[in-house]
Formats: sequence, C-alpha cells, structure tokens
Amino acid sequence: MTAETIIQSLASGLLMGLLYGLIAAGLALIFGLMDVVNFAHGEFLMIAMYATFFLFAFFALDPLLAAPLVAASLFVLGAMVYLLVVRFAMRAKANAGMVQIFSTFGLAIVMRGLAQYFFTPDYRSVTHSWLGGKTVSVAGVFLPEPQLVGALVSIAAFAALYFFIHRTDFGRALEATREDAGAVALVGIDKNRVFALGWGLGAALVGLAGAIMATFFYIYPDVGASFALIAYVTVALGGFGSVFGAFAGGIIVGLVEAATALALPPSLKSIGIYAVYLLVVFIRPRGLFGSI
Amino acid sequence: MTITRRDVLLGATATALVPMAARAETADVAIGVVYPFSGANAQQGVDAQKAYETALDVINKDYDFDLPLAKGEGLPGLGGAKVRLVFADHQSDPQKGRAEAERLITQEKVSAVIGTYQSAVAVTVSQICERYQTPFVSADNSSPSLHRRGLKFYFRPAPHDEMYSTAMFDFLDAMKEKGSKIETLSLFHEDTIFGTDSGNAQAKLAGERGYKIAADIKYRANSPSLSAEVQQLKAANADVLMPSSYTTDGILLVKTMAELGYRPNAILAQDAGFSEKALYDAVGDKLEGLISRGTFSLDLAQKRPMVGKINAMFKERSGKDLNDLTSRQFIGLIILADAINRAKSTDGDKIREAMAATDISGEQTIMPWRRVKFDESGQNNNADPVLLQYVGGKFVTVYPPQAAVAEAIWPMK
Repeated sequence: MTAETIIQSLASGLLMGLLYGLIAAGLALIFGLMDVVNFAHGEFLMIAMYATFFLFAFFALDPLLAAPLVAASLFVLGAMVYLLVVRFAMRAKANAGMVQIFSTFGLAIVMRGLAQYFFTPDYRSVTHSWLGGKTVSVAGVFLPEPQLVGALVSIAAFAALYFFIHRTDFGRALEATREDAGAVALVGIDKNRVFALGWGLGAALVGLAGAIMATFFYIYPDVGASFALIAYVTVALGGFGSVFGAFAGGIIVGLVEAATALALPPSLKSIGIYAVYLLVVFIRPRGLFGSI
Repeated sequence: MTITRRDVLLGATATALVPMAARAETADVAIGVVYPFSGANAQQGVDAQKAYETALDVINKDYDFDLPLAKGEGLPGLGGAKVRLVFADHQSDPQKGRAEAERLITQEKVSAVIGTYQSAVAVTVSQICERYQTPFVSADNSSPSLHRRGLKFYFRPAPHDEMYSTAMFDFLDAMKEKGSKIETLSLFHEDTIFGTDSGNAQAKLAGERGYKIAADIKYRANSPSLSAEVQQLKAANADVLMPSSYTTDGILLVKTMAELGYRPNAILAQDAGFSEKALYDAVGDKLEGLISRGTFSLDLAQKRPMVGKINAMFKERSGKDLNDLTSRQFIGLIILADAINRAKSTDGDKIREAMAATDISGEQTIMPWRRVKFDESGQNNNADPVLLQYVGGKFVTVYPPQAAVAEAIWPMK
C-alpha cells in the first residue's frame, strides 16, 4: 500500500464525511430541539434528490442552481410534517416516545411507497451538470468536484447555522424552547411555531445535501435508507442535542470508514464506524459533544 | 312424443352437467410469479411482470411464431385452458419469499412457481416448492449452488454463473491468442450470494487458466460510497476489470472510477446491473467498449424474425427492449407452460415429469441456445452464453464465433 493510496482514501473519506455531517445536521437539530428522532430523515433526502432530478429533467436547471429551491421546498415539507403529524404525535399521554417513533417511521414508509407509485422504482440520474464527473487532481490525489463542493457547502451551512443559533433572536428562541417549552410560553413565544420552523430548517439542510448528492449519486425510492443509517450513527457519535457534534461526527465517520476499508476487506468497512461508536458509548454515552 | 319422467331427469342432469364440463375444460391454470415489486429492486419486478405478461399473451392468444404454445389459444393438452399468473412481492427478502411461495401454493393453489431475480430468494422459494412438490422454474437466477442441492422440483433453463464465467474465460483465452496482452485481472463483486458465487467461480477459473488476480474486492451492496474500493482497483491496475454488481452499485462504481481518474483497459462484466437500461442512461458515455456476458442478444432478430416481433410486443408494454433478464423470464414461462401442456394435468408430480422430459430445440426459443433439456439436477447445460460489447449506444454480439456479428474492440479505450 503506497502513501498515495492512503492519502487518496483519507481525502475521499474526509469529503464524504463532511457530506455525512450535512445530511445529519437536520436530524441533530430536530432532535436537539424537541427530543424527537425523525425516522423519515432518509426519505426527506430522497425527496430532495427527486426534486433536484425533476428540476433538471423538466427545466434543465443545474443542481447547484436548484439547491436553494430544493432547500426552500424541503423547508415547507418539514414544517408541514411537524404541523400535520409530529404535533399530534407529541400529544400522546402515554408512551410518547414510542408514538413519535412509529409516526415518523410510518411516514417514512408512506413517503417511500408514494415515491415508488408516482416516480416508479426506476433508477434516475442527473446525467450532466456543472459538477458531475469533473475532478480536480492535486499532486496525484483526485478530488471529485461534486464531493468537493458538497464539502464546502457543508462547512458553509454549519457556519451559518452557528451564527443563526447564537446570534439571532430566533436562534435564542430555539434554544430557550429546547430548554423549557413551558416557560417560553409565558414570555410569549409560540412553541408550535418554533418547532415548525425547527423542522423546516432541519429539512432544508437535508434538502441542500440532497441537491448536491444528486450530481453524483443514483436516485430511487429507497436511496435514503443507506444514508439515514449513517446519519443516525453520526448524530449519536457526535452527541445528542449538539448540531456541531453532527459536524464532527460526520468527519469522524467518513475518515473511519475510509481507514477501515484500507485495513479490512471493503465489505466490512462499516464495522469500523460502529466499533468506534461502541467505544464512544463506553467512555461518553451521550456522544462526543453531547450537551443533553 | 311422450315425455317420461326418465327423460326429464336425464335432461335436467345433462343441462346441469354441460356447464360443469365446460368449466372443467377451461379452468385456468394458475402459475405463481415471485418477484421484488417494492424495495431496492422493485424495477426488476415491474419489468419482469411485463415480460411474463408478454409470454402469457403468446400462450393464451393465437400467434404465428415457431415457439411452443404460440399457435392456437391456451393449453391444448388441457382442453384449451388459459394460463393465469398470480404475482407476489418478495421485497428482495428471502424470508418474505418463503412466506409468499407458501401462500401461493396453499391458498392461491398455483400449479407451479417461477421467479425470483435474486438467487438468495430462489434458495428459500425453491425449498418451499420442494416441500409441497410444486415445480419451481428458476428463470433468471444465476448462482451455481442453486441446482446442486438435490432438489427434484427445481429447473433452470438458463445458464448459471460458472457457465457464464467459463464463456468469459474462453473469450479471454481467444483474445490472448490473437495477441492482446491479458495477464492480470481485478475481480469486483458484491457481498450477497450472486456476487460471492460469481467471484469464487472467476477466481477458480483464473487460477486454472493461468491469469494473475491483481485485486479481489468484495464490497457491501448498496454502499453510500465506493471510493476506497475504486482506489484499490486503480492501484492494482489490472488488464481486465471484472465487476459482478447490481444496478445501483454499477452506476456508483462507474461514476467513482471516472472521479478518481481510473480508466481500465477493458471491462468484462457479469451481467446483472450491466444489462440494465438505467445504468447506461446514467453512465453509458463512460462505458464505450464494455463487454458483458449475457444469454440474449437482439442481434438474433436478424436470423430469427420472431425475436424482433416478440421484442416489439414487450416494448409496447414496457417501453424497453428485451434484455438479458426479461428474455429469460419470457422463455422461462413458455417452457413451464409447455411442460404443463404436455403433462395434461395440473398435478405437481406430473408437471415435474413433463419438465424433466423437456426437449426443445434452440431454434424454437428466442435465445441463442442449442436446446432446452434438463439434467438430473434440473440444469439446462445446453444454454450457451454470449458476450456482448457496448458500442455506440448498442450491444453487439462478439462471442462465441457462431453467434458473433462483429469483432471485439480491445482494449476498450
């Protein structure tokens, strides 16, 4: 194994890891805000990829231009899902956690089924885009442009999120609602509004990720499943309740995956991720940067 | 004329019996069709349904093809009974396949079962069929281990992966003889039964025929990323890359190869994803010169016009040309229906006997095979694979010589 192979693998792992982080950001945000795990997160990603594909197929819109549109549509979808499904699930008097799990899980199955019905199970691809298939080579290390731009978007999105949560009134309202949803009502903050906006924001982030991913990944109704699993472990590893834990978690997952594939047969590469997660559970069960 | 009581009774009995007899004569023959209609491989199920419906049309209606059961309507051996298909969804899950097969046999009362796309599901479905003594036609499964389990009710008209792999290595030997430099191979296969069996067969043949394996990479199916795997393929830089992948991984493999600047000398693919339109729609521009094994070639329409006509019938339903999978599904149902017709019965044992006695010449199929005749294990050893090269957006038969319509372009770039 040459040094070049190792550097190339780690570089690919880092780029993929930043994307994993971006995919997981919305999940972490929603969980941090209201302790609800969105099991339809992978399906949000799938919808975003289809939206990008259809904008490309019908309006010849490049995924990069489509990204803001897709993020905006996903914002609406996320807010609707909260207002129409999750809000009611949270009213459950007993077993509230279970009701939330099953309602978002059911939503995932319904979304997948509808996608299969309306979009057919055929595999779609954005065949040509500004980024697709292009690659930058630095000293023999290949950095595919879609993943490179994805990584930059991921960093920018996390920076914007940081500013948003710590420097704006709405961000403070978000934090306050998370800490005590009952008390904020006393100072005139509408809990449902904050939660709906939180869901919208979380979905918009995964929308951004979906638009970028459409430039290099195939699209079909089940595409969310393999990424959703990684998103859950990313959030758990990075720390529950911490959006920036998802950023760090994504990078760690990407790098560990790449390193495992170098050391073990590639079919076992996800073992590394879960082994590291188990290790983290031993030392710090709430995750590396967990605040809850 | 006096009407006696006896006449009235006779007449009444006759009137009652006539519709019963007519019904008995034309009772449908149900055949269970088990495919993934939802989940990751749902598209294969949807396409398969169209292929089976095309075959059903040929059987149940009158067509002038030189194909068993094409002429006349229904099954003459059962008084013109029509064949009816009962579709069931196994969602690519062997356990769901098992449950669906059991339901088809016990509740839907099917006379035989056909399926299943994935070899892993064929394992459980064929076990259930064996238990209920119901014939199972493995139309499009290619794992060699399937027919080696001593099952009596298992039949596979099409080649298995070892036959495909043998043809692929025969081809490599032939190219080497012509002066191409082929010494090292990279194997790239997914980790379910299809990829594993294929990889093992290829590794064994490479050893026997003196090719060096530069890389043998088993990867996890439906991975979110294949960069590390492609990186190793690139480092090995073998003379021939041999992938055994389904559609999703095939698309990601080709895209990742382009992104990481890996252009192999030649790609010799084990079908599956590499015969799917979706893959060529997505990355066809990067695959000029790829060679895939297959069991079917539309080139055959030049020699056998009915192949073109049946393809047109299928295309009208599905919007696609017949491919390696859909052609096997089509002919699989024809062969099964032909056996039921000769059995003159819907009894499992009788159909099994008729299946075992099948002897159809290759000319009477839509496949480039010598004939359809099963050995004791239910395998048809006379099904010759072909190798097809992707040139200018189309597949051209390049091997074996008797079926070839063009010389192979080597290396591909």
